[in-house]
Amino acid sequence: MRTTIVIGAGLSGLMGALALAEAGLRPLLLAKGQGATHWTAGTIDVWGADERSPREALQTIITSRPGHPYALIGVHAVEEAITRFRALTEAARYPYVGGLERNVLLPTAAGALRPAALLPVTMAAGDVRLGGEMLIAGFRELRDFYPPFIAANLAAQGIAARGVYLTMPPAFRRREYTTVTFARMFDDPAFRSEIGRQLRAQRGNATRIGLPAVLGLRDPLEVVAHMQNESGAQVFEIPTLPPSVPGIRLFTLFQQAIERAGGRLQIGSEVIRGEGQDRRLTTIWSEAAARQQEHRVERVLLATGGIAGGGIRTDHAGIVRETALDLPVRAPANRADWFAPRFLDPHGHAIYTAGVATDAHLRPLGAADEVIYDNVAVAGAALGGADTVRERSRSGVSLATGWAAGRILAGLVS
Amino acid sequence: MRTLTTDVLVIGGGATGAGALRDLTLRGIRCALVEKGDLTHGTTGRYHGLLHSGGRYVVKDPQSAEECARENEILRKIMPHCIEDTGGLFVVTPADDESYADRFVAACRRTGVWVEEIPVREALRREPLLNPRIRRAFAVRDGAADSFLATHANADDARRYGAQVLTYHRVVGLERVGDRIIGAVCEDLRSGETVRIHASFTINATGAWAGKIAAMAGLHISVVPGKGTMIAMNHRIVNTVVNRCKMPADGDIIVPIHTVAVLGTTDIAVPDPDVYDITPEEVRLILEEGECLVPGVSRMRALRAWAGVRPLYREQDAGSDRDIPRTYKLLDHETRDGVAGIVSIVGGKWTTYRLMAEHTVDLVAQRLGVTTPCRTADLPVEPLHDSAASAPRSSARTQFAILASPFYMLGHRLAEVEADDSYGDLICECELVTRAHLEAAIRSDGTANLDDLRRDTRLGMGPCQGGFCTYRAAAIWHELRNGTAQAAGAPPATALIGHFLQERWKGVTPTLWGDQLRQERLNELNYLETLAIDRLPATGRDTIVQGRDYVIEEVV
Repeated sequence: MRTTIVIGAGLSGLMGALALAEAGLRPLLLAKGQGATHWTAGTIDVWGADERSPREALQTIITSRPGHPYALIGVHAVEEAITRFRALTEAARYPYVGGLERNVLLPTAAGALRPAALLPVTMAAGDVRLGGEMLIAGFRELRDFYPPFIAANLAAQGIAARGVYLTMPPAFRRREYTTVTFARMFDDPAFRSEIGRQLRAQRGNATRIGLPAVLGLRDPLEVVAHMQNESGAQVFEIPTLPPSVPGIRLFTLFQQAIERAGGRLQIGSEVIRGEGQDRRLTTIWSEAAARQQEHRVERVLLATGGIAGGGIRTDHAGIVRETALDLPVRAPANRADWFAPRFLDPHGHAIYTAGVATDAHLRPLGAADEVIYDNVAVAGAALGGADTVRERSRSGVSLATGWAAGRILAGLVS
Repeated sequence: MRTLTTDVLVIGGGATGAGALRDLTLRGIRCALVEKGDLTHGTTGRYHGLLHSGGRYVVKDPQSAEECARENEILRKIMPHCIEDTGGLFVVTPADDESYADRFVAACRRTGVWVEEIPVREALRREPLLNPRIRRAFAVRDGAADSFLATHANADDARRYGAQVLTYHRVVGLERVGDRIIGAVCEDLRSGETVRIHASFTINATGAWAGKIAAMAGLHISVVPGKGTMIAMNHRIVNTVVNRCKMPADGDIIVPIHTVAVLGTTDIAVPDPDVYDITPEEVRLILEEGECLVPGVSRMRALRAWAGVRPLYREQDAGSDRDIPRTYKLLDHETRDGVAGIVSIVGGKWTTYRLMAEHTVDLVAQRLGVTTPCRTADLPVEPLHDSAASAPRSSARTQFAILASPFYMLGHRLAEVEADDSYGDLICECELVTRAHLEAAIRSDGTANLDDLRRDTRLGMGPCQGGFCTYRAAAIWHELRNGTAQAAGAPPATALIGHFLQERWKGVTPTLWGDQLRQERLNELNYLETLAIDRLPATGRDTIVQGRDYVIEEVV
């Protein structure tokens, strides 16, 4: 019987489960469905709200915003999480590069420049500061990548770029294409050779070629190397709208590492409630295919996400709830204060800061700051106190708090 | 400055204006139409889509009921492709006065509104989510109408007969010489150019804005803009129009239209048709009243709320807005005010737009000495070609027997996608808009932004509210228009993204909670985190023209 439970399969739950598995606690990860990995770009964004380096920003936040998730765990925990994460990705032959010293600016599928602290090496040649003309190449068959639009917006920002469409080799024509079908095609060397030849013909003066982030699911490094050889230029990936191939790779490598370390993942099981006494959570119930399952628990890592992930839910009466354990939530008191009039308001919408408040051990707190459960730690977007999408810190917060929560529950942090 | 000469100038690109334009051309009268936004940008594009059986007005406003009943049959005949034959129900809920039902039936008989009482269990069989405690149910000939498509089809027909349609042209003044109006001065909102239009006769078909236009000629019309708020639910909770069987009041109707169901409406007089908000109280009221018809509706997923302004004409003091007759009124300013060359058509409803146009053009034709009779009651309106919203193409028709009906069928787009095997070309998956639909709409000259494309194709109107298709549509727009003559003076594709997302946001916020809020957060992940459109420098300076006296959107 597994008594260490992680709830949620996003980056924070995966990172927490890894920490718990490596501590020998054989965690069981329960999740309603796939987590945010599948919806997002696959980079680790520690801080990108302004031009400061992530390290500089972290140091200020820790003193100026005590309720911020980064402040709860401290810079050291962020560093530790990044170190472990980099080692994990290197071992899986899908290394991430970068760090806290500076953000890399990467082209997006809209031709904007997006800051990221860590990125898969398959995206590294997209760093705009490297210089060199870009060729942006894609396929008309892929609905979420438009080279002419991307190139025009890059050019408007002074970055030499050209956009072209490639021709789908007849042997690979299908009825419908998604990012995932493309990734599987790139796993096939025959497809790559054909595309590589087209890229070489189209390359012109470009020294690097940006492609949609669909360069294989099995061995993306091999795919990039092959494309570089064929095309004679550096090749890099640009993240697309979901489903995210880099996110799926990340999920897969975590899953393998967690299972190797003795953990288990059970996707499709939604945790619907918990019960406990004397500040200890003792039992939780999960539901799958209309059958409830009872789990006696020693420790629980809650990583169910925020509003997007479904960990925090609102209703028409203006009530805001935490959905798995019904923990107290801090949220704007009045529904009238939830939203700013502009969708793109730089300060964001207040409702997205709603979440569970915790102490420095990530234990959930009640309205009077009393600890609700000693054996529960909260991580990721379920934590309140920050709009991490506006800060461009969402994946950084998830990675670091997930790691910290796992270490705390394993008793490895005093 | 450009100058243009025509016989009749129609001001207003809603249902009535486009209907009048077609009627004029069918009588061989030269004419032009000006509209400050896109066609249907005003009230026509902001109503729930009900094709009235007349049932709603039988007791309170019998004249309006009679008009609706007659026009309902005519519209079914001349534009079936714009109408879904949903049928309608009037039901007596436990909250309603039971004695009204008998008065309702008697009044239907008097006014010629077709009605048939059906057993409650039959009503519940047809609509399983209906309140099981309803006491009586009456079937009527209500339907759902696509007002975007119908207006475009009328305008297109008129164009084929030689009429000019000038969208994004705002009237800034009427030209008055002595006691006669001889045309209007307009501003082309896209180029900033002044356009002078000489016309022997002007038709003011601007609905809730009629008072504003008339004032430009020194005329006074008391139009009360009656704001009606509606909520779109993310699926068809009913497939039949469902009304409460009682005196018309707030929140007493559900209209299934295309992929959604619309709960309506409220009725609040607003001082200015350009300035109004949707209040949380209205939303609460509509959901609460909706619970009488469909228990649990307030816990279902609401997509968005919006409001339109009814063009209610107040001849003398009426008690409240709901007491102002729903019938229309043609104002002949020559006999009424001593100013020739202009008429105003006010009041009415979408269902009677053709009749209003006929009545108006009868008077204008008579003044111009034209004796050709009106033909719009008999001559079918041509379906639009290449339109995503119009009737199924023949390939889909032959393959799917169910589509043999002349009426619009909800399944027609899916049938087309299946017949053409075009799954891979879906740009808006929620509303099944294919790349071909979208490209045709982008290529048409009238469209200035993605919101115009939405009115043409239903892009972004489904559950994700533009979460995926906004990006795709803007990029395709860029590919088709960049460097072409159409692009001159137009906003860059990136500004279109910000503008469309903002338009969608305005509509979702009044009913934003639960799953729809979750969806909006995913849209933030897409546009802020993955695409970072807020970091595109050029968009800060761009503005999008959208009927300049409503809104100038500063796109961040």
